[in-house]
Amino acid sequence: HVTSPRAVAEWPLTGRITSPTGEGLPGVTVVLKGTTRGTTSGPDGSFTLAAPETAGTLVFSFVGYQTQERKFSGPEKFAIKMVDDAKSLDDVVVVGYGTQKRADVTGAIASFDAKKLEERPIARVDQALVGQLAGVQVKQTSGVPGRAFSIQVRGAGSISAGNEPLYVIDGFPLETAAANGGGRFSSGNPLDNINPNDIENIEVLKDAAAAAIYGSRAANGVVLITTKRGRTGKAIISINSFAGISKAAKQLDLLNGDEWAAKATEIINNNWVKSGTGRTASQTTAERQRILGLTGNAVNPDLILDDRWALPGHPGLTYIDWQKELFRSALSQNYQVSASGATDNVNYYVSGNYTNQDGIAIGLGYKRYSARANVEVKASDKLKFGLTLTPTFSIATDAGIEGKDSRLHQILSETPIAEDSAGINTAYGKNEAYRWGVSTASPISVIKAYQGDTRTFRTLGTVFAELQPVLGLRLRSTLNFDNSDVTSKSYQPPTRNLATSLASGSYSAFRRQTFVNENTATYSKVIGKNDFSALAGFSYNFAKLDNVALAATGGFINNTVTTLNAATNISGTGSNYTTESQSVLLSYFGRLQYAFDGRYLLSASVRRDASSRFGFENQAGIFPALSAGWRISQEAFMLPLTAVSDLKLRASLGYSGNNTIGDYSSIATLGFANYAFGGTAGTQVTGQAPNKVGNSELKWERNRTVDFGVDVGFLKNRITASADYYTKTSQDLLLNVPVLTASGFGTNLVNIGEVQNRGWELEATSRNLEGAFSWTTSFNLSHNQNEVKHLGPGDATIEVPNGLDTPSNILRVGLPIYSIFVVKQTGILTQADIDNKVALFGSETAGDAKYEDANGDGKIDSNDRQVVGNPTPKYTWGVTNTLRYKGFDLSFLIQGQNGGSIYSTLGRAIDRTSVGYKENALGRVRDRWESADNPGNGVKGKATGSFGFIRNTDWLYSSDYYRVRTITVGYDLGLLINKRVAQGARVYVTAENFFGHDKYYGGLNPDAVNTSNTGTFVSGTDYGGLPLSKTLILGLNLTF
Amino acid sequence: CEKELIQTPISNGSVPDFYKTAADFDQAMTAVYSQLRGYPDREVILSELRSDNIYGISDIGSRDWDPINNFAASLLPINPYVADAWASDFSTIFRANTLLDQLATNGGVTGSLRTRYEGEAKFIRAFMYLDLVRKFGKVPVIDKALIPQDVAQIPRSEVTKVYDLIISDLQTAIANLPTTYTAANVGRPTQYAAKGMLALVYLTRSGPTYGINGPGLASKEYDKALPLLNDVINSAKFSVLPSYPNVFSYTNEDNAEVVFDIQYIANGSIGGSFVNVVIPDAYYTLSGIPFAAGSVGIKPCSTDLITNAYATTDTRKAFTIQPGYTYAGITETRSFYKKYLNPTGRGVSRTDWPINYIVMRYADILMMKAECILNGAGGTPADAAALLTPMRTRAAQPALTTLDVNSLLAERRREFAGENLRWYDLMRSGRVLDVMNAWVLTDDVNGKITRPITPNLLLYPVPQVELSSAPGLYDQNPGY
Repeated sequence: HVTSPRAVAEWPLTGRITSPTGEGLPGVTVVLKGTTRGTTSGPDGSFTLAAPETAGTLVFSFVGYQTQERKFSGPEKFAIKMVDDAKSLDDVVVVGYGTQKRADVTGAIASFDAKKLEERPIARVDQALVGQLAGVQVKQTSGVPGRAFSIQVRGAGSISAGNEPLYVIDGFPLETAAANGGGRFSSGNPLDNINPNDIENIEVLKDAAAAAIYGSRAANGVVLITTKRGRTGKAIISINSFAGISKAAKQLDLLNGDEWAAKATEIINNNWVKSGTGRTASQTTAERQRILGLTGNAVNPDLILDDRWALPGHPGLTYIDWQKELFRSALSQNYQVSASGATDNVNYYVSGNYTNQDGIAIGLGYKRYSARANVEVKASDKLKFGLTLTPTFSIATDAGIEGKDSRLHQILSETPIAEDSAGINTAYGKNEAYRWGVSTASPISVIKAYQGDTRTFRTLGTVFAELQPVLGLRLRSTLNFDNSDVTSKSYQPPTRNLATSLASGSYSAFRRQTFVNENTATYSKVIGKNDFSALAGFSYNFAKLDNVALAATGGFINNTVTTLNAATNISGTGSNYTTESQSVLLSYFGRLQYAFDGRYLLSASVRRDASSRFGFENQAGIFPALSAGWRISQEAFMLPLTAVSDLKLRASLGYSGNNTIGDYSSIATLGFANYAFGGTAGTQVTGQAPNKVGNSELKWERNRTVDFGVDVGFLKNRITASADYYTKTSQDLLLNVPVLTASGFGTNLVNIGEVQNRGWELEATSRNLEGAFSWTTSFNLSHNQNEVKHLGPGDATIEVPNGLDTPSNILRVGLPIYSIFVVKQTGILTQADIDNKVALFGSETAGDAKYEDANGDGKIDSNDRQVVGNPTPKYTWGVTNTLRYKGFDLSFLIQGQNGGSIYSTLGRAIDRTSVGYKENALGRVRDRWESADNPGNGVKGKATGSFGFIRNTDWLYSSDYYRVRTITVGYDLGLLINKRVAQGARVYVTAENFFGHDKYYGGLNPDAVNTSNTGTFVSGTDYGGLPLSKTLILGLNLTF
Repeated sequence: CEKELIQTPISNGSVPDFYKTAADFDQAMTAVYSQLRGYPDREVILSELRSDNIYGISDIGSRDWDPINNFAASLLPINPYVADAWASDFSTIFRANTLLDQLATNGGVTGSLRTRYEGEAKFIRAFMYLDLVRKFGKVPVIDKALIPQDVAQIPRSEVTKVYDLIISDLQTAIANLPTTYTAANVGRPTQYAAKGMLALVYLTRSGPTYGINGPGLASKEYDKALPLLNDVINSAKFSVLPSYPNVFSYTNEDNAEVVFDIQYIANGSIGGSFVNVVIPDAYYTLSGIPFAAGSVGIKPCSTDLITNAYATTDTRKAFTIQPGYTYAGITETRSFYKKYLNPTGRGVSRTDWPINYIVMRYADILMMKAECILNGAGGTPADAAALLTPMRTRAAQPALTTLDVNSLLAERRREFAGENLRWYDLMRSGRVLDVMNAWVLTDDVNGKITRPITPNLLLYPVPQVELSSAPGLYDQNPGY
């Protein structure tokens, strides 16, 4: 029996697909379910498809709309109206070790649909979450492209063990990392090199009920990231590319050359008059030189002016705007190609991506190459295999722009005047420093001469097998491996053409490896109205970190070889070493979920984590959680209330932990303490001494979260909202309690102390308009209040050392953590004040700052510090609006925060009292006090003040800001392009960070953290952080 | 799998596996010395800068050392130098205590080496307690390695109790330590170093009390100091070198004048940094040194020291003090110490100078003996004057025929300028308040020192961080 393919009879299937507003919708994929047979709709939305003469199902799918299925049992004509892909209650939500119907969720989970990410000029996944989710505070602490963000879920519960959530990508829990006080993840961040274009969606498990299944790593919340998968139907090849320009979103107002010279003249003349009797400001340079006995061109710049400042055109001098020299227009580009598809047996998604972002400052850049393959194979009805492989490579260039004494800080302090002969190369190469200027080698020249980068080669791989031996039971086993190899090289040539100026260089690298094996069994069963589901699992987690570092500061043989084989000297164990550390985590976990009639929901989970990091007396911890929900809207009495389409009450209680202790913290380790014996012929002798106190009881921080929530939907879920109230109590904090140094140590790591975060969150989405013109608004608002409940022994207040001077952040019971504790400035001293004997700081005189004598002892000192603010904002919020009209769409995200403060070390550096004339100053110094008759605006004291400085509200700023994070305008070219060329095409323009306002006039980025406070506290400060980039890009999406 | 939960550090040793072999004890002993390496830097600030030898004016804004120099008491409890002195001394004591405890309980080292280690550890413990008692007065006496919770039960002891431990430790050291070391062991304290140190302890106790709980007990123990000093002198192991610069030569360390010093070599990690503390950056550049001094500005010698202390013929002055300089058209008129600076002997960074820091030298032994004589321990002023002759001769100064307390103090100032002894000398002499207050009137041209120097300011405050760590346990020194 031979048949020709032509002989097969076929049913013609035709129809027209329309948008929710009734217009023909081109480019919709139409597939015969279970086959690769399919087509796409034409310009008017119509389609034709022939199907074999058997009953089947057609699947209609299009990005941005819900996928629909229609059955047929003969030739048929369809009229399909697509529905906007808003979150639906039938959606499946990814939860730890599984999925759950959104309607059945009883924990606090925030979801983020990541599909739009590919249209934004962002290099990282964390960047995408800014302003999107209630209760999830994302801070861009650095302006260096590719650098990790800080993410905090429901406030900071930990004082010293880190507040970063656990990241789980497609079920693979990545090794958690805590930022150091300087905001850096020195041995990698879990989201490094992860390509945001591959992300399908992100869920954040906020309360312990949702997160406790991850036990001792879940205290700071869990971020579940799901990458893209193939969809049934014809293979889709998608190309997305964009290119654009970035610029600094902000610059500081600093004095220009003339303003600086005016201030310098005032200070130098004042110095001169005070330096001896008979000296007056009107004396000329020649007279002053004669009085001082200086000959030739020798000067004492502290006492003698540069006459050229006053000459027209200031001959011989160049006036420089250093910020202008640093910032530039930078190119951003991104190219992503992906292919995806699925049949009954195979589901695949493969992609390749190239991203290149130049920094807004010279000396910064980030390039990333990444690829992904997600493949699942169904070997039989009962057995499934899968493989995920993600090789990535990135090159990040940073010539040391941010942080204390780094280039940006120097740029802001740099004297805006240089000799003509040197210009912006002042104090560099053959050029001496400008005599009246700072001696810093030109930061611009230093940046340009710097060579080096950080190269990250990271591969994530997962293999899994899933067996379904009987209906409802699924056994799954996964092997996951994450390998990062990161190498950093730097080379800084000599800054001066002097024998005394030497090149320096370094090479460092680390390898982070995580291996995770997880085995789970899931069983689901429906008996009548009872819906059961149970999970049991075992997990083995091994993590290892290897470090290597080499450095040389003693010069190189010449400037052409920049690797350390050409260094003159690389000896010394302080900066040259290799180290290794590793940890093991063994876990058992289980969960029971029960739903009765879709109305009463109950979930209980427990996890036992045993970790090598914990002291041997407390090696394992148990983390239980319980949650319940009541879907009131399903009750009979609610049925008449048709306006309310969904109403659910949720309550949960759970325990989770924070194990970011460090690998060997419970053990009294030895540190090297070397010495030399032998006099002139001395040699190094190795010494070893205990470098910390051992603590065999050391364990995880324990978090108890109570959460009450309500989910509500109105008008067939046209308006949906969720509200949550929570109390998160973090106990047994890992605290480096200051101990008497008579014990030989300054601190001792113990589990003590308690911090509570209380707050509420509101998320709402409303489809305001539907029809030809559609408008959707999503809104989130969160409030968090943080309070230290207990501290070390006796609840003694801890003053957080900053390594510079008087501590300005304190930990005190009853206050938010790291509350700002400084002297309050109340204005400017008048002579009357001094005559009235107001409290003074040191040798203050009229025109200097006036401070509040908080303790009333008649003098100003560190005992007058008071609480003036706290670094955590009270409210954070974000609003996204999406509008569509015909082929056009517009969406924009505005986000902001209110009620927090910044205490900026950068402000201290550039805006403190008694600062010398050499350094530049903020523009607000223009309105300074100059005399009793010319007192300025009453904010800035006199430039000639020399009484020193004390930590005070001078450099306290509000951290309030709002920012239009992104605006995207897109146009669907589908109407214009022949389907045979491309199935879909879209052009878009995105503006990132174009508008906004903040109150941080002493720095460039209110979220910046780049310089550590000392000690073991994870608190940091801004000491010269870059501004955000504002970027304008033009992009094109093509689908084939 | 469960076995894998026991992980031991890969890149560090740990206490349970240590203190077993002789090599372990050798390393533990070395670690005690290692902690001394920060001592000289602190002395420059807390001793020399506090005295009338330096008038420090911070060039740039206000610096942490300002209140030490200008006696602004309110700032001192949180001053990092003050806090560091307390913490570092106790850290050294902890290491010594740990070693002594382990020596007593573990058999890893025996015989003469064990005896010597005990002597060395006790010498250093006494040295640190002397430093503490001179700076802070009453301090907690801790003679065992204790966990922090137990330390939090130990209040500050009376000064006499602190001295009891110091004296007993030094007596053990004298009994246990050898008279000399060879080659690779040079730099460890000898029994003569212990005798010299104990003599200094008696002299310090003999100083006036000023009505405070300070180092002076007015105990008049010059007769106890004298025989110890005579032992050192009669040992004939030491001498006054003919050349003053040669005492501080980079190529002549541990010479015959050195009784005890802190050892450094330039290898990138265990060099010294005290050389930098007073020297301005530009002078480094001028001297061909390829790194910044990192001194955060100049800490100039006081006018009084430069103009009044030395005879014009005194050769010590030119070696000790650099009288300003001009670099790149900018003239620095102030003078500063350069005693320990030898640009060509530098290591690889500003914290990598190889020159040892002399804690006690033979000239000091001789002058301490003169001090005993002048205070009635036997002998005449002429005998005392004769003891100074070798030092005066090499400084091209005529020998003195007689000596009194004031002229001894003046000679010590010239001989030890920049060696951080001046403040303690003034304290011991009973003249500190007169000298300092007179000096403020003439030298404080910038009006930085706004109040008279009173007895309470002779001690530093207990660091605030210590008071906060165990509220109520320690009392603060009066005046702070």
